[in-house]
Amino acid sequence: MPTAKITFFTALLALVLISGCSSSAQVQVQSQFPKVISQPKPINGVIVFSEEFQNYIATPSKNTTIDLGVAQTNLLRNAFSGLFANIEFVSSSDQVSLENALIITPSVTEVQISTPSDTYLNVYEVWIKYSLDIADADGQQIDSWFMPAYGKTPNSFMLSKSNAIEEAAIIALRDAGAKLLLDFYRIPSVYNWVIEKEKQEAQK
Amino acid sequence: MNYSAILSGTLFIALMLSGCGATTTIDEYRPTTKAMQINSEESVVILGRRDAGHYDTDREFIDCVAKKMEGADIQVLPERQFIDSIYPWFEPRTAPKGLKRLTRLMKNPAIKKQVRNQKLRYLVWIDGSTNTHDRGGSISCAIGPGGGGCFGFAQWEKSSIYEAIVWDLSDLTEKGRLRVDSTGTSYLLGVVAPIPLLTPVKNDACTSLGKQLKQFFSVATNSAQNNSDSSD
Repeated sequence: MPTAKITFFTALLALVLISGCSSSAQVQVQSQFPKVISQPKPINGVIVFSEEFQNYIATPSKNTTIDLGVAQTNLLRNAFSGLFANIEFVSSSDQVSLENALIITPSVTEVQISTPSDTYLNVYEVWIKYSLDIADADGQQIDSWFMPAYGKTPNSFMLSKSNAIEEAAIIALRDAGAKLLLDFYRIPSVYNWVIEKEKQEAQK
Repeated sequence: MNYSAILSGTLFIALMLSGCGATTTIDEYRPTTKAMQINSEESVVILGRRDAGHYDTDREFIDCVAKKMEGADIQVLPERQFIDSIYPWFEPRTAPKGLKRLTRLMKNPAIKKQVRNQKLRYLVWIDGSTNTHDRGGSISCAIGPGGGGCFGFAQWEKSSIYEAIVWDLSDLTEKGRLRVDSTGTSYLLGVVAPIPLLTPVKNDACTSLGKQLKQFFSVATNSAQNNSDSSD
């Protein structure tokens, strides 16, 4: 009888341990991002966050989903506020009310992850590839800017797969905000558009 | 007979434990031997470098050094709080790697205001990592209905190498550098139960670096500072 009990508990323990090694993860990225320190340019900007973007769930592998929608919308809302003095957020381009604005529609092109089992490194990594469609007030496309973002956990020790991917995704989102603030006005087509606008304003 | 067995067992454990000490070396460079003055209202922030591809300076180590510094009446601003307050200028992608870039950043009035609001005087960058190498031996454990146990012996070496650079935000200069190099071997004995004999290499590196950094600074009270200002 005691032997049967021990066998049962040993089997149960083994089952619990094996289930802990499950490689599937459903990650909901929940984070508050700090306010950006930036001096916005006196330019009007309209950001189109489509329903699809706001509710975006990435599936980087068949066993992993990352719900990025809310977090990425909050982050980009915050980051774009540091770029434009006058800003409007809409969910479709027909709702635009600001005049002479740059109209920017962000979308996610791809999300990739790598785990210690893929790379034999002691880190989890997340890549998010954004595309920003930039158009003028008349709907003429100015550029389509590819914006990659990257995040990794310092190490994977004592982290569950879900927590590690969430941490790496938050770092990747923060990186996206940094890249946007640093490089947006360096995009040659945007730079030229801004110069042109400033010339037009000066002539008025 | 029984007595000699206990004695030799104790001796063996003592011998093993004595082997669990880390060897730590600190190199220091300072342009002057004078301690860096810091007002009791001013603060220091300790930041980890995270822009390398293959490693990150881990937050645990940064927090550990910050705790060691706090003991000397030096106000240490939490790393996360500072990075968030100045977002996105100290993210891995954007953090200044040299004084030239820092000088450019500090020309931004919004960033300067944030630094001033937090009464931040010194910035300490820490770059490095702890690695495990030279693993040897083997240990195996088994469990069955009749019981379980481990048998064998394993050992591994750890090394912690960290460099700290101190920047003064009042005149945007480098005030000194410290390098800590700590190594030690850990053992795992499998004698029915696994007996770990771990060498706290990282902790040793943190304690040594924290202690040495503390000696860099000299905390001046406000009244003393005011007196010296007026005598100038």
